[in-house]
Amino acid sequence: MIPATKRLLAILLFLFASSVFARAQDQQDYVPEAGKFAPVAKSRYIAGELVYIDSVNRRGGIRLEGDEKSRYHAGPVHWFALLPYATVWSNGALAEIRDIPIGTHVHGYFFVPPKGEEDTIPPLPEHQKQFTIPHNHAVSLEDDFSFYQRRGQAWKVVSIDAEKEKINVEPTGTKSKDGINTPYTFDIDHRTRIWKSRRLSDLTDIQVGATVQLNLGWAQGWGDREFRVGEIWLDDESRRFATEFQRRMHVRYERQRWSPAWIDHVEAFDFGGGIVTLTLFEVDQEIIDDFRKEKNDRIAVAVAEKTLRTWFHRADRKFCKLVEWKEVDNPPLGSSGIQLRLKFVELLAGYEPGACVRVKCDSWKFVTMPSEERLKSRADQERSAKMVLPW
Amino acid sequence: MKAQFVIGVLLPFVVQSAILAEDGPADFTTTVQPFFAKYCLRCHDAKKQEGKFRLDTMSRDFTDMLVAQRWGEVLFRVNSGEMPPKDEPQPESAELGEVAEWISTGINEGRAARMARRGPVAHYRLSRDEYANTVFDLLGVHFDARMPGALNEDPRWHGFDRIGSMLTLSPSHVDRYFQAAETVLDQAFPTQQPTAAKTRQAASAPDRWLIYPGLHHGNINVRTPGLYRIRIQLSAVPSFKGRLARLSLWNNSLKRAEVGRDVRASEDEPTIVEIEAWLPQGGFQLTNEAPGKLDDGPTPSATFKTVTRLKDYRPNPTGYKLFTHDGKSIFPLLIVDWFEYEGPILTEEDQRKREGLFPVGQVSNLPADSKQMQDLLKEARECLNRFIARAWRRPAADSEVDRYLKIVESELAAGENFRTASLAAMTAVLTSKNFYYIVEGSPAAERDRLTDWELASRLSFFLWSSMPDEELFEAARKGDLHKPEVLKAQLQRMLADRKIDRFTSAFPQQWLQLHRVGMFPPDPELYPDYDKWLEQSMVRETTGFFGEVFSSNLSIREFLSSDWTVVNSRLSMHYGMTLSDQPGFHRVALRPDDHRGGLLTHASVLSLTSDGTRHRPVHRGVWVSEAIFGRTPPPPPPNVEPLEPTPSDKLKATIRDQLEAHATHSTCASCHRKIDPLGFAFDNYDAIGRWRTTEFVAGGQGEDPPVNASGSFSDGRTYGGPDEFKQLLTSDLDRFATAFIEHLATFALRRVMTIDDAARIKAIAQAGKEDDYRLRTLVEQFVTSDLFQRR
Repeated sequence: MIPATKRLLAILLFLFASSVFARAQDQQDYVPEAGKFAPVAKSRYIAGELVYIDSVNRRGGIRLEGDEKSRYHAGPVHWFALLPYATVWSNGALAEIRDIPIGTHVHGYFFVPPKGEEDTIPPLPEHQKQFTIPHNHAVSLEDDFSFYQRRGQAWKVVSIDAEKEKINVEPTGTKSKDGINTPYTFDIDHRTRIWKSRRLSDLTDIQVGATVQLNLGWAQGWGDREFRVGEIWLDDESRRFATEFQRRMHVRYERQRWSPAWIDHVEAFDFGGGIVTLTLFEVDQEIIDDFRKEKNDRIAVAVAEKTLRTWFHRADRKFCKLVEWKEVDNPPLGSSGIQLRLKFVELLAGYEPGACVRVKCDSWKFVTMPSEERLKSRADQERSAKMVLPW
Repeated sequence: MKAQFVIGVLLPFVVQSAILAEDGPADFTTTVQPFFAKYCLRCHDAKKQEGKFRLDTMSRDFTDMLVAQRWGEVLFRVNSGEMPPKDEPQPESAELGEVAEWISTGINEGRAARMARRGPVAHYRLSRDEYANTVFDLLGVHFDARMPGALNEDPRWHGFDRIGSMLTLSPSHVDRYFQAAETVLDQAFPTQQPTAAKTRQAASAPDRWLIYPGLHHGNINVRTPGLYRIRIQLSAVPSFKGRLARLSLWNNSLKRAEVGRDVRASEDEPTIVEIEAWLPQGGFQLTNEAPGKLDDGPTPSATFKTVTRLKDYRPNPTGYKLFTHDGKSIFPLLIVDWFEYEGPILTEEDQRKREGLFPVGQVSNLPADSKQMQDLLKEARECLNRFIARAWRRPAADSEVDRYLKIVESELAAGENFRTASLAAMTAVLTSKNFYYIVEGSPAAERDRLTDWELASRLSFFLWSSMPDEELFEAARKGDLHKPEVLKAQLQRMLADRKIDRFTSAFPQQWLQLHRVGMFPPDPELYPDYDKWLEQSMVRETTGFFGEVFSSNLSIREFLSSDWTVVNSRLSMHYGMTLSDQPGFHRVALRPDDHRGGLLTHASVLSLTSDGTRHRPVHRGVWVSEAIFGRTPPPPPPNVEPLEPTPSDKLKATIRDQLEAHATHSTCASCHRKIDPLGFAFDNYDAIGRWRTTEFVAGGQGEDPPVNASGSFSDGRTYGGPDEFKQLLTSDLDRFATAFIEHLATFALRRVMTIDDAARIKAIAQAGKEDDYRLRTLVEQFVTSDLFQRR
């Protein structure tokens, strides 16, 4: 028989240990899982200049913004991969990583690697270990234009000094939580692309008091968080046009590569075929409307890797019929909020819960992808599973 | 007078049952004549003769085809509502129905009498299945008469494909008989007897061949048709839902799976399956005959076809999905180590069949008058004598043998060798009408009894669907086959022979019209689970059920209601019953929850009365009327509008609801009142025989409506569902027994039964009743009856 005091002590110890454990769990990094959209609130904000991209495998490298430490001088590029449902924004519209020019300052939200994908980004060499940032899987990546505009923040021109090549701006509208949200001085010079209406203009068109959007880039004082204005949009028309132009690129890209999604559930029939439930990733509304208008009931689904690469998607696909269309309100970041239940006569091995696929409307033309984008063998597949660092 | 006699005798026969007591045709004097007087004769009597047509003097001799055709015209006009004209008084639905049925019954009876009419000599052509069985029993050669291009399909009369008056002969038949005879004889007596060779193919261990549905593997090259023995070592893994793997041979030429069997063997303990099959010339492969054929686009080439261990199978993502997320096999899979095949195998039994039929001497270029040639011709004559006697199923007359010997001589004279000359004569024997016709009667004298030779053929074609064997011939030769004790002894011997399986397969298939199973392939969208093996299993349940009743000598009551059935794993799955993990068909006990029992709940019957999309209560009613009551309802009137799909803006409605709306028209209601209740009882079963409580309705608004399987007979008795319906049927077993014997007699005597046969049929039924209508007893009663031995 355990004495009552000892029992009480044991209970108290248990409760204490539990609360300590719970707090430790809260502070742990969120590990994304296949089949679940990671909550962006639990991600880490990272910004810097996009200095390298592997557009085929949706990976890249960012030179991080300067800090008080010696990162600019001695630190490595932050190598990263995009999560399959990660959204990339350029000029205010959805984009592919290839659409953001090298040298563009970007903002991203990052997670540690999903379980089983810890090796996707190779570890840093021993002498750079101290710079390791484990959050190397991005759920979003945006240029400054997109990042600030989508959060309601713009810049008001306070002054411009063409001789000194400086522009003073202050934030206007809803201030962004992350990024720069205080008055700031940026470098600007004759290399800056200045957009007015649908045309390129020059520095003389920048008016004090004007509301503008910027895309930043590297400047000499990068280590001290100095930036150069690489591109500036002076009026609504110029911004609308830039956004629309990028949107068109995105829509065309999706129609050719097909709309990405992942599989939530597979119900196989033992007489062939089955029902596959999938959720479309975030894409432009025009793509969603294509699916909504689908008349021929002949949707095609090709298996894809986590990089969203496909094999020979125009042939390695199965057709299916739409059984159910479901929409959820306020979908998580990366999700379109649209879930499709599709009935197949035959299922592919790659149709697995949590696996990525690309989905085609019947109205889209079949296009053969360039050779380097396609997976052709198991060796290709294995090779593409890990990032190869260029330097 | 003749017509009145026919009706007078028919009525007690047809109306004897309680269930459809008022379904029998009406009496002419009390019902039909007053109808004509009231609605027709004002225009169609002696005075007016509207349209130059008199009804008051029309003959009622329906056996006269011209008379029957005129009555058919009357039926058409009345049924279609054309007569009486719209501005004349209109008959009630019930009156109309009685008259239509009287005419229809008369026409049917007249047709039956014409079809059953026999002259001094009656000829009954062999059906193509009988032809194949006969050449096998004669020469030990398997001839696939159903193979495309072999023999023509035989026309059927209510499912029976051996009705003499239906089996006519055309030039096409003669041409195919000639080709068939040459093929058969060439295999029986080849230039050089082929030797059986053994070929083996094996996977590269530790790899094993993985055969998923739709994949064919291996190469079985048959150069010489014949019996082949194929041995396969394999594992056979069921699907995650318990579906057994089915190993079959894929015929590359005909693009179909043949000679399949269910197999179950774990991955660790492979089994060796041995298949013996008659194979035609061509290429064959091993195949997995499970539904879910996987053959689309480039996917097969991306799917690995070898495996060492299933758990290590790492699929290519663009290949087929063969396993569930947790590693279970989606499809039944075959995993083959090796196979070997051997053939053609000539069995001693088959060799014996050919002994003494073909001259041994094979010398050529002999002078015609040489002694050696004379000896050869003498031997050829003896061979021909034996061959003709067996092929024609009666002794050969000397003049007949001489005629065929002349063919040998003329061929020799034309320079052919002895083998070719002999085969030419034998081909002529097999293309003679005496071979492919069963001949009964004598041109010289009318007789109504069969000779012993004729009786031997009737008996063997009835029970074995083939020619008599030597013992039966011997009994006929002695002239005492007709003696009851000899006939009974021969019957018992024949029932014990394995060839009786032909009867327990062929008769139920024809009686129950099982050839219609799969005639309208079910819509794959609505019934994706339906496959060829299920279709074959449906038929084999019914024939297996019949075989079990037969071999156990159970009462034919079991056909109407039983607490057991015969299923394999595939059917168990289809019926939602506990899955058997044993390959093959087994007798299983049924629980009430299975909702099965008796032929009427067999998936075969329920699907043959459907159209591939929907169940058809009217077809089911007609089928019950014909198969169970032996009665064919009147044909539908012309211009009947088909049932339309439920419009999208209307509430979903069952087919029964639509039919009941349809049957409100007086011309329809009179017949549907009698037919439909026989079909509504099975509304709980869909178009492929699965149990349901709601009826799927494509289109329309709202939920699928619940099934209503209740109903009432026209005599007022009601039922609440299929079980109560079956109880009503079993309570009237006498009527079913009579109809059953009528079907049995139609099958055996190769003709339609007429009113002249009614008393004899009834006598057999009464004799069988004393033994509770046990099936073998009924067959024995029938074979020893007067009816069986009459021409």
